[in-house]
Amino acid sequence: MTKTIKTSVLRYNPDSDDQPYLQDFDVEYEPGMTVLDVLLYIQDKFDSSLAFRWECRGGQCGSCAVRVNKIARIACRTKVEPDEDLILEPLEKMPVIKDLVNDMSQTIHRMRRIRPYVARDTKPVHPEIIHADQIEKLREIRKCIECSACLSNCPIVHETWDYPGPMIIRQIARLELDPRDVEDRIAMAMNEAVYFCTTCKMCEDICPKSIKIPALAVELLRAKAVEAGYPLDPGQKAFLDEVNKTGRAVTVKDTPLLEGLDKEEFLVDNPRGRVGFFTGCLIDYRMQSTGKALIEVLNRNHIDVIVPKEQWCCASPAFRTGDLKTAHDSARRVTEIFEKASEKYNFDTVVVACAGCGKTLREDHYPFIEEERGTPPNYKVYDMAEYMLDKIGKENIVPPKGEINLKITYHEPCHLGRGQGVYEEPIELLKLIPGVEYIEDQYKNRCCGAGGGVRAGYRDLSQQIANSRKAQIEETGADMVTTECPFCTIQLNDMMKGTEMKVRYIPDLLAESYKKGDE
Amino acid sequence: MDYKTIMCDILVVGAGGAGCRAAIEGANHNLDVIMLSKELLGKAHTSMAEGGLNVSLGNVDPDDNPETHFKDTITGGNYLNNQKLAEILVEDAAQRIFDLEDMGAVFDRTPEGKIAQRPFGKQSWRRTAYASDRTGSEIMVTLVEAIRKTSVRVFDEVFATKLLVTDGKISGVCAVDLKYGDYLVFRAKSVVMATGGAGRIFSVTSNAQLDVGDGYGMAYEAGCDLIDMEMIQFHPTGMVKPESAKGRLVTEAVRGEGGILLNNKGERFMHRYYPEVMELAGRDQVARSIMTEVLEGRGSPDGGAYLSIAHLPKSIVEFRLESMIEQFEDAGIDIREEPMQVSPTAHHFMGGIKTDEDAGTIISGLFASGECTGGLHGGNRLGGNALADTQVYGAISGESAAKYAKSVSHLGVDKKTITKEFERLEAMLNRKDGISPADARGELTELMWEKVQIFRKEEDMQFAVDELRRIEKDVVPNIKVDVPVKRFNPGWHQAMEFVHMVTTARMVAEAAVMRKGSRGAHYRVDADPNEKGYYNIVIKKGKDGKMEMKKEDLVITKITPP
Ligand SMILES: Cc1cc2nc3c(=O)[nH]c(=O)nc-3n(C[C@H](O)[C@H](O)[C@H](O)COP(=O)(O)OP(=O)(O)OC[C@H]3O[C@@H](n4cnc5c(N)ncnc54)[C@H](O)[C@@H]3O)c2cc1C
Ligand code: SF4
Ligand code: SF4
Ligand code: FES
Repeated sequence: MTKTIKTSVLRYNPDSDDQPYLQDFDVEYEPGMTVLDVLLYIQDKFDSSLAFRWECRGGQCGSCAVRVNKIARIACRTKVEPDEDLILEPLEKMPVIKDLVNDMSQTIHRMRRIRPYVARDTKPVHPEIIHADQIEKLREIRKCIECSACLSNCPIVHETWDYPGPMIIRQIARLELDPRDVEDRIAMAMNEAVYFCTTCKMCEDICPKSIKIPALAVELLRAKAVEAGYPLDPGQKAFLDEVNKTGRAVTVKDTPLLEGLDKEEFLVDNPRGRVGFFTGCLIDYRMQSTGKALIEVLNRNHIDVIVPKEQWCCASPAFRTGDLKTAHDSARRVTEIFEKASEKYNFDTVVVACAGCGKTLREDHYPFIEEERGTPPNYKVYDMAEYMLDKIGKENIVPPKGEINLKITYHEPCHLGRGQGVYEEPIELLKLIPGVEYIEDQYKNRCCGAGGGVRAGYRDLSQQIANSRKAQIEETGADMVTTECPFCTIQLNDMMKGTEMKVRYIPDLLAESYKKGDE
Repeated sequence: MDYKTIMCDILVVGAGGAGCRAAIEGANHNLDVIMLSKELLGKAHTSMAEGGLNVSLGNVDPDDNPETHFKDTITGGNYLNNQKLAEILVEDAAQRIFDLEDMGAVFDRTPEGKIAQRPFGKQSWRRTAYASDRTGSEIMVTLVEAIRKTSVRVFDEVFATKLLVTDGKISGVCAVDLKYGDYLVFRAKSVVMATGGAGRIFSVTSNAQLDVGDGYGMAYEAGCDLIDMEMIQFHPTGMVKPESAKGRLVTEAVRGEGGILLNNKGERFMHRYYPEVMELAGRDQVARSIMTEVLEGRGSPDGGAYLSIAHLPKSIVEFRLESMIEQFEDAGIDIREEPMQVSPTAHHFMGGIKTDEDAGTIISGLFASGECTGGLHGGNRLGGNALADTQVYGAISGESAAKYAKSVSHLGVDKKTITKEFERLEAMLNRKDGISPADARGELTELMWEKVQIFRKEEDMQFAVDELRRIEKDVVPNIKVDVPVKRFNPGWHQAMEFVHMVTTARMVAEAAVMRKGSRGAHYRVDADPNEKGYYNIVIKKGKDGKMEMKKEDLVITKITPP
């Protein structure tokens, strides 16, 4: 039997239609079919005037970016699933010419503004000698095919064209990395608001060439800016000074978790595993009860938890903002602390419950330490939900019994989903709680605006992003939004002030259900 | 009929490798240049080229030189090449690749820090410069960067439909703005055609959507000579599966880096056909070898051969063939571990607008470069010579157009001709009954794939010719766009392209019938064994509107055919 895919396409001819409208088509599914094949099928069978762009059908020309179920993708390399409905829309931010065809003039204008070519002040002599290692990084970010998909879903571009967006910030980095280019691209990057990026990694996820724009362009340019002597924003600098002084990015308010705990070992009878707990700054200094909840949840599931008393900030803010000295000092220190503890207490797994810390330990510390000393840290890092679902196993999790009768949605932290590849586990955890009605938010993976130093440095922008996100969360009709990152939690709490929407951190909620169940 | 007239000094039609290079050259002469293309800037077919660009730098094999490059080009082209054009290609290629580097291109390097070079089919030395297997993209991106530095005015998504000729001299073009559907006339002192090839007249092709042969059609209608139109290169390795990816190119670099071809018995069958050069035999030779295996029952399940690179170190594959990994990943195949299935695909037009050493045509002020021209590659193009062609002749055409533009003033244009042209396009939208462009196109591309393919025979080709004449007479004037909307309407775009496809296909088929022997890419199963075929076929539109063909002597400077 042939399967059909229900495809809704956003149609619009501004000459004749007042508003865009969705039109449905039944498309016969064929194995290996791409979104471009779907569009060509519709054009061929139903409406030859359906407007969309394509040329190469192989991810080489960059013509065919459209939004597929709300996320920009290049049509020719996006596979369709036989049992999933499709909604196809034009890219965001750029005006529509017709149907799925956007007007790219603003993007081109924005590109030209950065003088996007190798600038020279002397005539080159031939042959020019350039060694392979000089262009290694450049080669990576050079793969861009200017499809503009990444611009469409960048939360910053969504708010303001003051930021040129991932594609163009990448081009600045491409030129900065080119040994032949003589322009001051760092000054240019500063002028082009390189510090606006939240490092949400949406662009990297979307990019058909998998270009790591946040790391290879944004953070690289920031590091070079710091090196060149550009001062960080005072808001960001304050955090880093704290890190260097105290090992924590924030200042003490109430008794920190680590100080309040009377021991390092939280052991259970017949443990099924043992982990070290990396608290991170916010759980230690601001969310002590959450920290305790977490230890409790793990203990209840027969896991020994070791909480080294001496801990240090992962220095995510330093990695993100380009202060590599602080970043690397911290990475060394954290590694040393946890390697020592792992030897003393005999564990090889570290659990983190902060998306930002987890991402930093995995994506930043790991390669840095490996490069510096030849071997990576000797422990493995897991996110809390990931550890529970994938290591303990769903069938072994002690079911929480206390009912929580609420409609609950989930906000996926950027540095948990795209940062660590943990997508479904937190939702699975939520669903374990009796009474919970889980409500899917189709925009759950959108940035809340807190990360990358943006909340610290550019509060207004951060709030604008938060407000866009707020509208999406409210649209779900849920009573509560949950997440698994303390930083997101703070941002969500701020954005939901004055509304009915409750904000909770998933381990907290889980602990609550366990407690209720005991009663 | 409402239209807008836009003035410029030089008009470049096409924004691929050749068009961009021509536009840059024109702008360097302090002239006002407009560049048109059907797609957005940077998306042209050139961005799809993978393997590399030939230039005898001798960075890897120091004994290489332009002389050997010339020899390889002529023997590769089965001696049909215009040797004057080939001499210029091999001489200028080095300077042009340095131009690209000056503009910012990032080619892969040798250990000494020079441009690295890889082996390609039928070449004496490792000569092909590359950037992984995305060389075309590298060149396209570089040229776009360079264009953005110049004063060139980019009119992308503008479709040229007709060349305007006044008293035998070029005066402009008629065009349609695809975005909004407006009719435009560009008046220019000189025009460069850089419209690319026409792989899309075949149902299985490696080419981009835009390659339908508009340039051949327009040039023919304007009265240009077209040469070698029967010479179509079928690339031996196109993708077979999935259906929607059929025909997509598997770069020759796979074989250049050491990939081997196997049949369903696991035999390396190239032993049987070309034991000295094996997989690196000429493209036509490899294509015929694969097809012979398939026809004799030794093909892969989906009608191709296996191409394997799995014996090479993964790191090499990952560094030098990254796009191939990606391309096959989409088809569910890991080329580091498993073989690919491949079979031939329509790839390159050796023939095209006949040009001289200055890229001039027989119409004063009209120049041409890139794949839309013919003569340089003869009966078969070497892999890597097309990109070199775009750069060498792109630059020459730009310079010639500039020199010419400086020497003349704008000519008048004939309003009647213009009105008639736009009425023709408008009629496609207004017709009550007629044939849909999609159906018409389907019929045409199948016909060409079935009847004018790798193994040719008289009756097939004659059938195609007859059919094409019928299509030209009955279908072309009755093309009807389903939805009569001018704003970005792909149905209308296809309809506008269709007439050019038919003209192009006819030139291919008619010339193929005329050539009785096998030569180069033109391979007949019923070849006249006595015919050596050392001539070129030149086509032109006669005074009476009929297609005229004649055989011309080869242009020989250094190498006499055996
Ligand atoms: C998959 C693939 C891989 C290849 N790999 C290699 C390789 O490794 N090495 C090599 O040397 N060669 C390679 N080739 C061949 C080479 O890519 C082409 O010959 C070359 O890029 C052609 O460049 P061009 O500038 O002439 O035309 P194109 O790049 O095809 O550009 C044509 C331009 O003309 C415009 N145009 C056409 N008609 C109109 C019209 N009516 N109005 C306005 N504009 C119009 C188009 O919009 C486009 O901008 C490859 C070809 C393919 C298909
Ligand atoms: S990481 Fe996020 S904010 Fe930064 S450029 Fe990419 S999409 Fe935009
Ligand atoms: S960076 Fe990636 S997603 Fe963005 S334009 Fe380039 S190729 Fe497209
Ligand atoms: S059609 Fe070229 S990238 Fe999709």
